[in-house]
Amino acid sequence: MGAAPNMSVTVGGLTLSNPVLAASGTFGYGREYAPHLDLAALGGLVTKGVSLQPRAGNAPPRIRETACGMLNAIGLANVGLEVFLRDKLPFLAGLRQKGLAVVVNLYAESVAEFAELAGRLAGAAGEGVSALEVNVSCPNVKGGGMAFGVDPRAVAEVTAAVAGAAGALPVWVKLTPNVADPAPMARAALENGASAVSLINTLLGMAIDARARRPRLANLYGGLSGPAVKPVGLRMVHQVARAIPGAHIVGLGGIMSGEDAAEYLLAGARAVQVGTASFVDPGACARIAGELTEFCRQQGVADVNELVGGLINS
Amino acid sequence: MATLRAEVASHDRVSDPGAAPEIFLLRLRAPEITQKVRPGQFVMLKVAAGLDPLLARPFSVHGVEGGDLLILYRLAGKGTRLLSQVKEGQELTLWGPLGRGFDLNVKKPVLVAGGMGLAPLRFAAAALAKQGREVSFLCGLPGGDGFSELCESLERWAGSQVNFSLATEDGSLGVMGLVTALMPEALAWGDAVLACGPIPMLGAVARLCAERGVPCQVSLEAPMACGVGACLGCAIPAAGGGYLRACQEGPVMDAAQVDWERL
Ligand SMILES: Cc1cc2nc3c(=O)[nH]c(=O)nc-3n(C[C@H](O)[C@H](O)[C@H](O)COP(=O)(O)OP(=O)(O)OC[C@H]3O[C@@H](n4cnc5c(N)ncnc54)[C@H](O)[C@@H]3O)c2cc1C
Ligand SMILES: Cc1cc2nc3c(=O)[nH]c(=O)nc-3n(C[C@H](O)[C@H](O)[C@H](O)COP(=O)(O)O)c2cc1C
Ligand code: FES
Repeated sequence: MGAAPNMSVTVGGLTLSNPVLAASGTFGYGREYAPHLDLAALGGLVTKGVSLQPRAGNAPPRIRETACGMLNAIGLANVGLEVFLRDKLPFLAGLRQKGLAVVVNLYAESVAEFAELAGRLAGAAGEGVSALEVNVSCPNVKGGGMAFGVDPRAVAEVTAAVAGAAGALPVWVKLTPNVADPAPMARAALENGASAVSLINTLLGMAIDARARRPRLANLYGGLSGPAVKPVGLRMVHQVARAIPGAHIVGLGGIMSGEDAAEYLLAGARAVQVGTASFVDPGACARIAGELTEFCRQQGVADVNELVGGLINS
Repeated sequence: MATLRAEVASHDRVSDPGAAPEIFLLRLRAPEITQKVRPGQFVMLKVAAGLDPLLARPFSVHGVEGGDLLILYRLAGKGTRLLSQVKEGQELTLWGPLGRGFDLNVKKPVLVAGGMGLAPLRFAAAALAKQGREVSFLCGLPGGDGFSELCESLERWAGSQVNFSLATEDGSLGVMGLVTALMPEALAWGDAVLACGPIPMLGAVARLCAERGVPCQVSLEAPMACGVGACLGCAIPAAGGGYLRACQEGPVMDAAQVDWERL
């Protein structure tokens, strides 16, 4: 076996020890998983979406398993900015000191709220935050949510406002798969101050209990995630990579293994996020980072960056 | 507490042959968990390898015997059907113990089980008896059909410290009626209630306890994805607004913490 491959990547204004981050909403605020894996094995993590005010979230049932996936309609339940800064950030700052990228996912219902969130995080966050990820793609909340993410002008406006308020903090924009072509949204984000785009968020879906003649989720619709969505995620990452040469892309959707992560890198992502897999195996993020290293070693890839965009021109 | 692979030491159908519901007792060699687990806590168990079913299933711990972890489960759907086909000697993936268990710091406990609510309460009864407590164990079932062998084995197990009473809705075993019908007599003696079962039953038990000023702990179920407090899928409506996580603030909660109207 050859020497250990280089796993470090640069993406969206950050240098990561390896390309694997935990995805928003599937990893809490980091601490939840501390008993279950070695957090230091991750390239970084993205927090649950934080909003200005606390949000209770949707009525249950909020989740339902589907074939090779799951639907969720959590409704962006979160502790709100104040409690986040006070109770969650100190632990995250500790992780950042250990070399993890700490990306704070933002959720708001207006451009002004997004800018205020970004400004307050940039001001208060100090050493604890590496970058912001703007969620313009949540399918499960009324108002705001996905409405921003399906209109390139709205994406441009939100991105510019957040980037303006975030100071030196890099801004990533998280895109929805619930559009025909994500490239115009990605372009709008990247031309207005985003350092990277992350995609995909969940696909809007529904599950029905035919015997009871009832929807399975109280919210009717929910976001589909897990291995079932991987082909959609790969296609959309590839579309953006092809349409915007040099775009920094963080790929996600259905990654369960190191080889799945490699597929996203080949499609054009510079880094990946692991979501639903953490529910199936609480050690998934660390395992997948290890498997990706092993994949590189077995394939004779000396530097993981060699994989990035390998299929853009095919 | 990473995931672990545990060998199936034994796996038997314990409900009466041919009858529904189908109930199984699964014995896993999992000393890492048995050393730590407290009554009322649960584990997340992958019922099969592969991507479908994707999520692990939550199961309360039914008991601990040395390094063996006991799970008593009812065949409910696809996942539990696959689980029921797992053979002795095979390995299953699980993680735990998880969640908040019962507070066993009680003097005269009345345990109230509805159906599969038996699962965690037998573990609680065993732990209380070990502490030297006398326990009143009330069990309610729709009918004796399917459960007679299980009930006999529970009665045999109960011994002198655990006072076991049974109610069935059809009267085929024990007293005819709902388990709540057994409560007034038990509460003439007892001073704390630990309950697990279907939500309507738990609501009735909670109301009865509230009326009498008896502290009541309930073990609640909700669909779960992660089991560790991260997905926020397992929301239980909280008294005073908002939600509690069944996997983190529960599954055992004080009945007064729960908004029974919204549940
Ligand atoms: C904390 C906790 C402890 C539990 N302890 C036990 C136990 O000791 N013995 C036992 O028999 N059952 C127990 N259950 C219920 C058990 O988890 C479900 O019966 C099981 O998940 C059903 O899976 P399935 O694939 O067979 O059914 P399906 O109906 O096909 O499952 C579909 C989906 O719904 C979920 N689901 C279905 N029923 C329930 C339920 N009642 N609670 C939560 N999720 C559900 C499944 O996990 C799965 O994701 C417990 C549930 C919780 C939350
Ligand atoms: C329970 C749950 C909660 C989520 N919450 C958020 C969130 O708060 N903000 C966000 O941008 N994405 C959220 N997501 C989307 C994920 O970050 C990810 O984009 C999606 O699940 C696809 O990746 P996966 O298939 O690996 O899970 C959530 C997903 C799930 C399953
Ligand atoms: S099951 Fe995920 S938070 Fe409770």
